Amino acid sequence: MDSIFDFIKGFINGKTRKVVAGIWLDEKALVGAARTAKNMGIDKLEAISPYPMHEIDDALGIPRSIIPYVTIVTGLIGCAFGIWLTVWTSAYDWPLVIGGKPLNSLAAFVPIIFECTILFAALSSVAAMIYKCGLPKVDPPIIDPDLTCHKFALFVPEDSKSYDEAKLELLFKDLGAVEVKKAEF
Amino acid sequence: MAEEKLAKPGKLVISKNLKITYSVCMFLGVLTFGLTLAKDPERAWHAYLNGFFYFVTLAVGGMFFTSLQHITKAGWSVNVRRITESFTAFLPMAAFLGVILLIGAPHLYEWLHPDIVAKDVLLSHKQSYLNQGFFWFRMFVFFTGWIVFSKIMVGRSLKQDETGDVSLTTKNVGLSIGCLMFFVFSFSLFSVDTIMSLQAHWFSTIFGVYAFSGMFQASMAVAVLLTLYLIEKGYVKGLMTIDHVHDFAKFMFAFTIFWAYIAFSQYLLIWYANLPEESFYYIMRTTEPWLYVSLFLIIFKFIVPFFALLPRWAKRTPGHLKVVCYLILVAQFVDIFWMIYPAFNESKIIFGLPEILIFAGFMGAFLYTTFRFLSKNSLVPLKDPRSEESDHHHVVY
Repeated sequence: MDSIFDFIKGFINGKTRKVVAGIWLDEKALVGAARTAKNMGIDKLEAISPYPMHEIDDALGIPRSIIPYVTIVTGLIGCAFGIWLTVWTSAYDWPLVIGGKPLNSLAAFVPIIFECTILFAALSSVAAMIYKCGLPKVDPPIIDPDLTCHKFALFVPEDSKSYDEAKLELLFKDLGAVEVKKAEF
Repeated sequence: MAEEKLAKPGKLVISKNLKITYSVCMFLGVLTFGLTLAKDPERAWHAYLNGFFYFVTLAVGGMFFTSLQHITKAGWSVNVRRITESFTAFLPMAAFLGVILLIGAPHLYEWLHPDIVAKDVLLSHKQSYLNQGFFWFRMFVFFTGWIVFSKIMVGRSLKQDETGDVSLTTKNVGLSIGCLMFFVFSFSLFSVDTIMSLQAHWFSTIFGVYAFSGMFQASMAVAVLLTLYLIEKGYVKGLMTIDHVHDFAKFMFAFTIFWAYIAFSQYLLIWYANLPEESFYYIMRTTEPWLYVSLFLIIFKFIVPFFALLPRWAKRTPGHLKVVCYLILVAQFVDIFWMIYPAFNESKIIFGLPEILIFAGFMGAFLYTTFRFLSKNSLVPLKDPRSEESDHHHVVY
């Protein structure tokens, strides 16, 4: 039984990466350190904090999410699909006069077109979000259990260009990390 | 006691140009109204109703938005609350202009003529609601209610600037509940009484919501323009930021969609059921020449603002945002024009200098009351307990 669970866990957790993580005890210090590290050219820099921090997106240099673009593109596809579906079914494939209205009655089709737009846009946004977040990741390795309580971490994964354990450890210490860990995430 | 703010708002000094602008607007409005009244009273009253309804909705929109912020205990909007509060300063003047409207009402509403009503079965059945006495009474109740609610609500906010009493904020929550309940009925019936009853045979149960959607969209556009004006003049450094504007713009964007949704809902059911007593309203608006006005509304009140406000940068770029706001305000004018004018001129669009100038007169009055309120009071609530939240308002998305 255990092996099956391990298999499923491995499957939904995906691959874990080696990381070098610096731990800070103060929000402001972390944001400052993140900004400095970003300016020094460290890429794929990430942070974990117990609560959302306003400035961290900017400090880490995280670009805007692609999800809005996915939404508009699939929304427009859904809209086109809705137009095709309603027009083709009610005016071409099986023409039926309903309520004495013309076969192509745009007003009657609008609710369906609208719903198709929303359906496509919403479902694909959720899918894009799951993909971008690397979900489902139900049981990732823990860098430090106190990161959900009072500690803040910056870390660099091994696929980063600037991944160099010794250098990063030195850098994080320089930036005021109270502790530097080699962990997996 | 709430702490004093670190940054102080400047005192608004109304520039000479602005003073001249609204004085000239008011003067031209009154003059044109007088001249048109002598020449063609029908035309003068139609234009009067158009301008009156437009700016009453903006003023009531300010009251609605302010009470919405109190009721939700919103923190972000504290620093920009004075903006929507300032719209309500127009209400006393609107009440006065409403009295004038009652004088001209017989030119507008056929149900005020007993001889027409006597000959008309439908109108005589509707007489228990649509009659002069009850109409005057309703107008009195609406304006009294709006003025009383907004005076108390804004008065408490102004009092807090001096005393910093936190209980004023909590008291406003209860008041806002009453205010919103009153607003729902009063605004809905106000739009039915003044606009829908122009074609008294026609009815639409969604009409109040339709008027409301346009109202919210337009009042947010004015709020954006006013906030940007104050930011550009440098009166509110560090207090009102582009983040506040962004949130106003989001409301405007949301209600652009809401307007389209409601407008379409109204149209779809009437089109589908195809009942003669309902469909004539849309038949006269979907045949030439009014068809073009209807198309204008679909394109410039929904499609263009929708795509123009969709990206994030669009809501944070003052130059771009201003153009969209002006477009929405023009479209709101056309919308009210579209609701009023076909009732009297089915086959002709009457639009010219008198319509523009009478509208400008109302605009002058609205600008006068709004800027007077803003110059007399602090531009930003000073000792609100939630000020801190608004000072550091930051919109991530």
